[in-house]
Parts: sequence; structure tokens; C-alpha cells
Amino acid sequence: MKSWNITGKILPALVTLVYSFLWVPVIILIVFSFSNDKYGIGWKGFTLGWYSEILNNVAVRNALETSLIIAIITVVVSTVAGTLTAYGLYKYKFRGKEILRMSLLLPIVMPYIVTAGALLVFFTRVAHIPLGYPSILIAHISFSTPLAVFVILGRMQRIDWTLEEASIDLGADRLTTWRKITIPLLLPAIIASAVLIFPWSLGDFTVTFFVAGAGTTTLPIYVFSALRWGETATINAIGAIFVALPVICLLLVTLLQRKGVRKSW
Amino acid sequence: MVENRESIPCIELRNLVKRFPGVTAVDHVSLKVEKGKVFSLLGPSGCGKTTTLRIIAGLETMDEGNVLIDGKVINDVPAYKRDCSTVFQSLALFPHMTVEANISYGLERRKVPKDEIRKRVGEMVDLMGLGGMEKRRPSQISGGQRQRVALARSLILKPKILLLDEPLSSLDRKLRKEMQVELKRIQREVGITFLYVTHDQKVALSISDIIAVMGEGKLEQVGTPTEIYETPRTRFIADFIGAGNIFPGKVIASGNGRVQLETEGGLRVIALENKDIRSEEVTGISVHPELVELLPEGAGLEGDNSFEGKIVEMIYQGDFIETRICLDQTGGLITVYLRPDRKTQFSPGEEVLVHWSPESSNILLG
Repeated sequence: MKSWNITGKILPALVTLVYSFLWVPVIILIVFSFSNDKYGIGWKGFTLGWYSEILNNVAVRNALETSLIIAIITVVVSTVAGTLTAYGLYKYKFRGKEILRMSLLLPIVMPYIVTAGALLVFFTRVAHIPLGYPSILIAHISFSTPLAVFVILGRMQRIDWTLEEASIDLGADRLTTWRKITIPLLLPAIIASAVLIFPWSLGDFTVTFFVAGAGTTTLPIYVFSALRWGETATINAIGAIFVALPVICLLLVTLLQRKGVRKSW
Repeated sequence: MVENRESIPCIELRNLVKRFPGVTAVDHVSLKVEKGKVFSLLGPSGCGKTTTLRIIAGLETMDEGNVLIDGKVINDVPAYKRDCSTVFQSLALFPHMTVEANISYGLERRKVPKDEIRKRVGEMVDLMGLGGMEKRRPSQISGGQRQRVALARSLILKPKILLLDEPLSSLDRKLRKEMQVELKRIQREVGITFLYVTHDQKVALSISDIIAVMGEGKLEQVGTPTEIYETPRTRFIADFIGAGNIFPGKVIASGNGRVQLETEGGLRVIALENKDIRSEEVTGISVHPELVELLPEGAGLEGDNSFEGKIVEMIYQGDFIETRICLDQTGGLITVYLRPDRKTQFSPGEEVLVHWSPESSNILLG
């Protein structure tokens, strides 16, 4: 059992290493966002100054607002489209289904920079879609929907589909069955995909930077330009907000689910 | 022929055909189910019995044939408008709803007034002994209770037909027996026609009025439980129903109300003559193990169907002892169910005499 012993020692070390690379930088960033150092790279006493500065900064507020609007619309449209697509891919048999499924996977594995460049050319030269909100939304929805499809498809594989038949058998038509049975059963996956897509859309830089055009600044783009002007200290605070928003979302969802479970007891 | 109201069967299938890629799941099945009866479709898995049930429910389309309920063709009526309800093998209780919401689901879809729903759900909960469970989820009640909820959910709609797809298969033996009795009681009380699909011959024999045995998409035999058990028509049915001893063979002589067969191994066995059966069609006989008698060697019985052999195995089964005897004449095995009080009379290795009466021989036709 020697090999087991070695694994037993290496595994915890490996896990510690992975987790420290995952979390230590984030923790340092959050700590430094409260540091009274104008370069934001060392500890010089506690301050909330950077937070009040970004709150009073109209440019930051506008960028945050833009990012939130885009993220929320992206989440709603992608989860709805993703649910419908997943249902079609799972339940119906048709020619070219496999090709369709695989081609949905492609945007997930394609480098962002390629997607971004392709979208920009497409919007300006082919489709003539104005750069700004429309182009950003289309771009975000198109890279988020495949994610929703795959999260929801995963759930569909574990659902007892006789439940739909039982509903129809008991006198419900297709639409009522969807509303009363299918959607509630898929809800955990729909929420999970929303929780994944929200920070994805909120934090996307590459694609947004390409297709945003002039005048529509999301928070990541603001951060990028602020960095170029050497404003490092407030960036820690913005970074902390980027971490906080999805975490709050996640906590809220978990809390809601807990409540749902408790209600059933 | 003039058909009066009484003679119209509750369910009628006419030449039903369903093909799946590579197999014909249902192969020209025709049958009639009388109103208020428990009709079982019995067969091994993959014989097409569940497909037949799903076609009646409207959950599966058919390729040919007609489904009639109360004499009306309902081929094109969608599942949610058919006057039958299904209890699924997995039960398919809605996991996100309470017991109460599960039971009232069908009534709500039919836009029954709220007060009446509450009243009828209350009655159903009482009938099924589910009091106190109303607010629980299906995951928070026992297997037997889930069974009852599934039944209640269907019965509350007062359908003409209840379709049951092996609903008891997930229960343990004791509970299954209890639910069998319970099902029979409920069926008598509500008087609904039951179409029961199962692969378990014991369940089928005990709850059915009529059994239809299915194999490879075809109906093999339709009859009362007694007929199916005592006189299985084919080797397949005899084997499936647990007749145990099957001897393929040919008729070599007949007369005086008796027929004599020679089995493939060379045994001469006697059976009673049946006027409806032509000798050329006979392919062998079957004998139930509980109808074969075991006697000590040299008991002096030199009559019909008496053969010498040696006990090779005795397996204790509780209510009987499954005893296998190797026949001296052919080297083949015969199984005998011995009453437990006779277990001390015999032991493995002993030379014995087996015997059964001609009326215990069942003639097989295929």
C-alpha cells in the first residue's frame, strides 16, 4: 500500500496549491482595495476612500450601469433561448441534429479573440449593426446561449420524462405540461446557467472591447482604460465589486433554494 | 348480428401493429376487454405489452389497426382527451408537488370547481389511507404510499379504463402482495376496467379475470387464470407460466379418450384426448411439478406415466421442496414439488418412482 501513502500526501498538497492560486490573488486584491496606498500595491493603513471615489465617479457609475443592463438582458435572453434549444435538441429527432449540437459547442471552445474579430467584421461589413448596445448584446447572447444549452441539456439527461407523459395522460395539453411540469423540473439548471452567465457577461473584456465601438463603455473596458492612465488604486475597489456581485448572486440563489427545500418539509 | 349495449367491449383492439426500427413490437394484436374486468397482458420484457398499453393511452402512435373504447374508434383522439388513465411503472409522481397537488392535478386540468376538487381529494385520500400525508412531497413518503398516490391521482378522474404498467414491480415481496389484494379491493369498489401489464405470472394469476399471454408482439393465448395455468397452449406459455416439465414429442396412438405420445427422449406418456386438437398439431406435453407424485422405488405402481429415476437435487423452498429427478430411461430431468412434510421420506441419490395421472398431462401445440 506504499503508492496509496504517497497519493495520500501529494493530494492534500496539490489541493492546497490549486486553492491558493485560485484564492490568494483575489483576497490580496480585496485587501488592497481598502489600503491607503495610491498605487494600490501595498498596505498603508485602512481606508474606504477608493470606494467613495468610484461611487462619486460618474464614469464608473455609468460603466457599471451599462455592464449591469447588458448582463441582465443577456442572462434573460440566453436562458430562455438556451432552454428552448436544449429541449429541441433533447426531445426531437431530426436530420443534422448532431451537427447542430456540435456547432453549438464551437463558440465555447473557440478563442475569444477569434470570436471577437469575426463579430466585429460581421457587424460592420456584413450585417451593418450599429456598434454599441445592439452589437454588445448580440455578441454576449451568442457566446452565452451555448453555455445555457449545455447546462440545461445535462439536467435533461437526469429527468424522468414519463413525468411529462403522466401530465398529458392526466389531461394536460403540451403547453400546460411545459408550464406545470417541464419548467419547474428544469428550474435548477435554468438558475444555474443564469448564475454562470451573469458574471461571464459582466466581466467579458475581449469580445466587448472589439464590438463596443465608441461611447459605450462597460466596466471592464473602463478598467482597461483607467489602467492605461495609471489609476491603479481605484481598480482594486472595482475588482472587489466584480468579485462581490456574482458571489452575492450565488448566495441569493442558494438561499432561495434552501428556503424552497425547507418549505417542502 | 345485432349488437346490443352490453356486448360492446370496453376496450377493443383490432389488428394493432407497431413497428420500431428492426422489430415489430406489436404484431396484429386483436383483443376485447369486457367492462369492469381486470384484464392482464402477461409476457416477458420486450414482448410488446407495454407498447400496447401506451398505444391505448395515446402515448404512442400505431402503424396499423384500430383502438376502440366503448365501440368508438379513438385512433385520432389525443392522449390528454382520452377517457383512460395510466399508472406508470416508475409511478411518475410529480416530485415538485405535494401529495395533494399530485392527486388534484387531473381535476384542475378539467377545470373542476375548487370546492369540488377539495371534496373529492379528501374522499380519495380517505379511500387510499393517505390521511396526514397531504402536504408531503413524494420523496417524503414510503414506497407503498407512493403507489397509492399514483393510483389516487388516476382514480379521482373516474376514468373508464385504468391502465397499469407493472406498478408493483418496485415493491418488496410482502408489500407487493398487500398491494395486490388492495388493488383488487379498489377495483371491486370503483368498478373500473383495469388493463394490467406485467411480466410476473403470480401477480397476473391472482388479480386477473382474463389473462392474455404475449410473446414477440403476438397474442399467444387468452383465457382465465385457471385456463392459462392449467392448460397452457404452447411451449412458450408453459415455460413462462412455470409449468416446469416440458416434454417435446409426437402422438403415436389415440383412442378410448386417451392419446399416447412418444417424447424426444423415448418416454411413452399418456394424456386425455381433446376433440378440438388434431394429432398432427401436437408438439409435446407439459406437467406442473406439483402434480407429479414421488414414490419409493418398487412401490409397485406400473400404470400410466410411471417412470423410474434417481433424485439428484433437493432444494428447500419453504412451502415445498423442489426435487429434481434424473429419469433412468432418458437421462432427462423432471422437477417435482414435494410437500414439506414428506422431506424426510426421500434424500438425494435415492432411486424413486415418479408418476402423474393422464389428466395432469397438458398437450402443447407449438
